Amino acid sequence: MDVNAVVTALAAQLSTITALRVHSEPPGTVTPPAAVLSYADVTFDNTYGRGMDMLELPVVLVVAKVSERTARKKIDAYVSGSGATSIKAVIEAGTYTAFDSVRVASATADVITIGGVDYLSYAFTLEIAGQGA
Amino acid sequence: MAFIHGKNTVVKVATKDLSSYTAMSELPRTADSHDVTTYGNVAHRKAGGLLDGTFTMSGTYDSTAVNGPRAVLEPLLGTVPAVIRQTEGAGTGKPQDAFTALLTGYTETNAVADMVKWSAAFEIDGDVDSTPQP
Repeated sequence: MDVNAVVTALAAQLSTITALRVHSEPPGTVTPPAAVLSYADVTFDNTYGRGMDMLELPVVLVVAKVSERTARKKIDAYVSGSGATSIKAVIEAGTYTAFDSVRVASATADVITIGGVDYLSYAFTLEIAGQGA
Repeated sequence: MAFIHGKNTVVKVATKDLSSYTAMSELPRTADSHDVTTYGNVAHRKAGGLLDGTFTMSGTYDSTAVNGPRAVLEPLLGTVPAVIRQTEGAGTGKPQDAFTALLTGYTETNAVADMVKWSAAFEIDGDVDSTPQP
């Protein structure tokens, strides 16, 4: 798998979510709502002869300030398992040539500070399988 | 002498190279044991008998229509295809085990949180030719 091609393909797919700003690499600053594709952990040689590699790619979603009254409602739409803004549904509905399969395996809530402001965020973990060579 | 990594192992069944779908293979070979103890012995005496063996392989399922594990192995159930296993990978002088074996099982395993896996079990038919690769 070409990791850059994988990230580019997933960023393009995430960009189909209306109003979501997608960064294919960690940006200097983030304006919510935004998804940031982070750096992948790679497991090589899942089968003989460079047949299959696997990636574990974190995607960080930043949606709203913690203090914002509607923060929860906003972020829940992205974390839900289905719907037009569901990260899992949108990612897994894509058609890709850069890899064979993707599963959004988990989403973990967190609070991150950007420019001194606390934002609600979720870290999604994507499990990606593709050809080794 | 050098330690050899398993990632370069080559496995072919009925001339089809399944290596890129395979993550594990095992070739346990056995011999019958006959007890030839007689009066006067103070310990069991043993004599070797017929050789035997099995072969198992498993890996990650691939939907490749012609050369994927399902396409290759499922039609071979109950038959005795040729199997080649190259423990150190392909290369002149490297070890190779070539044999025919009865395919007794092909299994696909679908866990909800994992890739689809497959496995196959063989019983070796006759001798194993362990002549190194030409």
